[in-house]
Amino acid sequence: MDQRRSGPVRRARSRRVAPVVTAAVATVALLVTQGLGQRPEGLHALEGRQLRLMAPAAPGGGWDQTSREIQTALRDRIGRVEVYNVDGAGGTVGLSQYAQLPADPTELMVTGLIMVGAIQTNHSPVTLAETTPLARLTTDYEVVVVPADSPLRGIDDLVTAMRTDLRSVSIAGGSAGGVEQILAGLIADEIGKNPSKVNYIAHSGGGEMLTTLLSGRSDAAISGLSEILPQIEAGRVRPLAVSSAERLPTLPDVPTLRERGVDVELSNWRGIVAPAGISAEEERVLEDMLMRMARSPRWQETLRRRGWGDAALAGPEFERFLASEQRRIGRVLEKLDLR
Amino acid sequence: MDQLEALLRGFDAALSAGNLLWALLGVTIGTAVGVLPGIGPALTVALLLPITFRLEPTSSLIMFAGIYYGGMYGGSTTSILLNTPGESAAMVSALEGNKMSRAGRGAAALATAALGSFVAGTLGTLGVTLLAPVVAEFAIGFGPSEYVALMALAFVSVSTLLGSSRLKGMASLLVGLTVGLVGIDAQTGQARLSFGIPALLDGIDVVIVVVALFALGETFDRLLKGTGGETVEPVRGRAVLSRQDWRRSWPAWLRGTVLGFPIGALPAGGAEVPTFLSYSTERRLSRKGSRFGRGAIEGVAGPEAANNAAAAGVLVPLLTIGLPTSATAAVILTAFQSYGLQPGPQLFSESGPLLWTLIASLYIGNLMLLVLNLPLVKLWARLLTIPAYAIYAAVLVFATLGTFASGGTTVDLVVLYALGAVALLMRTANVPVAPAVVGLILGPLAEQQLRRALALSQGDPTVLVSGPLTIALWGVVALFVVAPGVLKFVRLRKTC
Amino acid sequence: MAIPETGDARESIDDHESGDDVGTGDGPAGDDGRTVGAAAVLGLFLLALAAVTLFDAASLSRAGAGPLGPAVFPGLIGTLLAVAGVTMLVRSLRQWPSAPGPAGVPAGRLLRLAALVVLLVIFAVVLPIVGYVASSTALFAGAAFLLGSPHPWRGIAYGWTLAAVVFVVFDRVIGLSLPAGPWGF
Repeated sequence: MDQRRSGPVRRARSRRVAPVVTAAVATVALLVTQGLGQRPEGLHALEGRQLRLMAPAAPGGGWDQTSREIQTALRDRIGRVEVYNVDGAGGTVGLSQYAQLPADPTELMVTGLIMVGAIQTNHSPVTLAETTPLARLTTDYEVVVVPADSPLRGIDDLVTAMRTDLRSVSIAGGSAGGVEQILAGLIADEIGKNPSKVNYIAHSGGGEMLTTLLSGRSDAAISGLSEILPQIEAGRVRPLAVSSAERLPTLPDVPTLRERGVDVELSNWRGIVAPAGISAEEERVLEDMLMRMARSPRWQETLRRRGWGDAALAGPEFERFLASEQRRIGRVLEKLDLR
Repeated sequence: MDQLEALLRGFDAALSAGNLLWALLGVTIGTAVGVLPGIGPALTVALLLPITFRLEPTSSLIMFAGIYYGGMYGGSTTSILLNTPGESAAMVSALEGNKMSRAGRGAAALATAALGSFVAGTLGTLGVTLLAPVVAEFAIGFGPSEYVALMALAFVSVSTLLGSSRLKGMASLLVGLTVGLVGIDAQTGQARLSFGIPALLDGIDVVIVVVALFALGETFDRLLKGTGGETVEPVRGRAVLSRQDWRRSWPAWLRGTVLGFPIGALPAGGAEVPTFLSYSTERRLSRKGSRFGRGAIEGVAGPEAANNAAAAGVLVPLLTIGLPTSATAAVILTAFQSYGLQPGPQLFSESGPLLWTLIASLYIGNLMLLVLNLPLVKLWARLLTIPAYAIYAAVLVFATLGTFASGGTTVDLVVLYALGAVALLMRTANVPVAPAVVGLILGPLAEQQLRRALALSQGDPTVLVSGPLTIALWGVVALFVVAPGVLKFVRLRKTC
Repeated sequence: MAIPETGDARESIDDHESGDDVGTGDGPAGDDGRTVGAAAVLGLFLLALAAVTLFDAASLSRAGAGPLGPAVFPGLIGTLLAVAGVTMLVRSLRQWPSAPGPAGVPAGRLLRLAALVVLLVIFAVVLPIVGYVASSTALFAGAAFLLGSPHPWRGIAYGWTLAAVVFVVFDRVIGLSLPAGPWGF
């Protein structure tokens, strides 16, 4: 009798106990992994807490790459830094979320020229004024390219064609209101044409832009240097001019726009901000940390590998630079009718 | 022959016990993130990247290859069993696959998905090994006009997805197209249907829409019908593939591969478009009285193969011209660069050994997925014996996790719930939800490419039929439109 | 006899979104009262969507656009939405008198649906405060109970297990940061 009954009874009991046991095991796992991977060291102003860095773009994008390189470069110095992505709208989605954070010096965000432009074009209710700018770190210059078999031999040919009939020259590039369109607008403005009439073809990614150019549908394209460099080296596209002040070491034979009489200079810089309202001491510590990182051999190696320029600038100089960029970009976007 | 030798050396490097363990870890993580909606391989690889810097390049590349293929693979499991796609490209598998599992053929559906993924993944990898330069040339010649023709083809072919009532199918498609309008217009930078809400500026994530329409809709529906307590008999009759299943599956695998690989290689192709095309091809090729709409195995085999072949196709422009065409590819590119591999034309000559190790590990990862999953098919199907209340409570937990991972704002959750309510209304009105996802994916692509093409030609519409490729694609479109009528006519005459 | 008063029924559907027995939406056109009623509501929804889309399209500027402006597609989609909405509405109103079965849903189930919606909203609100594990446990247990789980208490244990495993795998191991409560998970 007992033998026969014990089976179902035991099963019923195990069914009642099993959920509790698994829950207990899971709780133990939670508690054991608590604090795993955090290695708070140095930076007393941060009370040894872990840094969090927002990349206001999708995984794989420029800001995401910058964030993850910073994460790597900082690991040796201060331990694990957490990077998280908030994608969207030139970074303004991330910015609006970031601005709601308290004045916590461990919460950082990557920013850059694109965000300065996007704040204006998207009528973002939140601006960079609601953050504490810390430092500019990298720069990526823009290159004007044409397909290898294009009849346009140099930037002068392109400028002449634009002067003759602006609408007939199609220029492919990244998203509307982004760095590439800003550069196209600056060039048009400089040669006395209406920037809003440029036949600019926006693309959501470098890949799509490249197919538009290489399928022979657009006359020219503008791209970030690091993105297009492999295609230049492969001879698929021909660089006409770079947007830097001086010739770039990676492309010593390519003239700058300024050199060819188009007085335009533009760099797609990227930097880091902290929340508004952090103390002066906290700001100093963070800037110091970033500048030390920027000078480290590891970071220099990263810049070289990525093809980014070193643009380390912190403190009041960075804030002045930011203000001048906001004014300049604002003017161009207005002329582009992207207000 | 040089290549073969290099590949063998690659296998030699990849086939150490330690590396096989990394491959196993990769495919396991990949399958897990593929199953969960909203968390894909892109995010996972990006998150794991800093951890793997301490590993050897070979080991971590092998793990990433496993995550990549595993992610493509895992998405279909929940799609087939629970009618809850783990990622948008697995949506089509839910159409026939879920019908099969409700009829007790879940294990067969999973098996054909597993084998189809393996066949397509292996053929795709073979394509990467042998045809990469050719396919890359094809892919970069694909300008806006070609895309317009491809989108027209996709739109024409999705009529098979619309369901029994044209009107209801169109209504669903239009809902999807409207959702696709939300966000900043890529050509002019103006916000559409965003109502000044920052979180809507970048549009509504496809993942959120898929989760809402399928998972939330299904959960709400069960609640309303009071069917939370029921379970489905997981396996009825013969468990795995019968001889007839094999005969019907393998041509669909091959056709799916042929569609998926080249379209996957296109910068704006994606993995979804070939699954739509594959489904409609299989449906059109099926004989009268086939099981389509009631659980046809071809409807799972073809799209699953197309999905995985597209995943391999993405690697073509990435490896040969250093062109990342999807978020995942961009992250993988980052991984390559951090190991000193510079994808691009010189890749094959410069980073030889590591590259061939990577390609070898793609083959290994694929095989490992099959070995791992085929024996588990019956076990997965047993998932159906869990009562629906527990499954759908878990689906809710995963759905909110996925939404959080892809956006992370309260607005995203509100959008998710609102679309879930729309899905319930659609289900109740007997309106299929799949066309909405189709509209959401194809609409923005078609609009942007058409406007781009016309801007480039300054308004001249003849640009849309310039070039041999566009003309060929429009020819296929015409065939799709005319063929059913002609076939009917031919059959009619035969019977006369 | 079973045919309810039109206005009354539509109102009840409007408020709660009714359900019926055809869930997959792929079968033959269902003609019972609930399906027809839902189709009518969907028609109204499409009309509302059309109005919003067309209104929004009208507010767009053409500046900087190529031959096709940003409002062309929304205009087209909005018009088609309106056509589809009207057709659906008219068709369901015509089918209404002949549709068998009631249009409503038992009040108890509507109450359950409303409770689930409340649960989801509470989840969204408390998630950042009490963290992922606690709020997901509540979501799981609550949803399982509403869906008809016979063992509500086991739901809590299973929900906790599931949420904890997800948290350990995704937050602790992979590094996707999920919201944590004051106790760290």
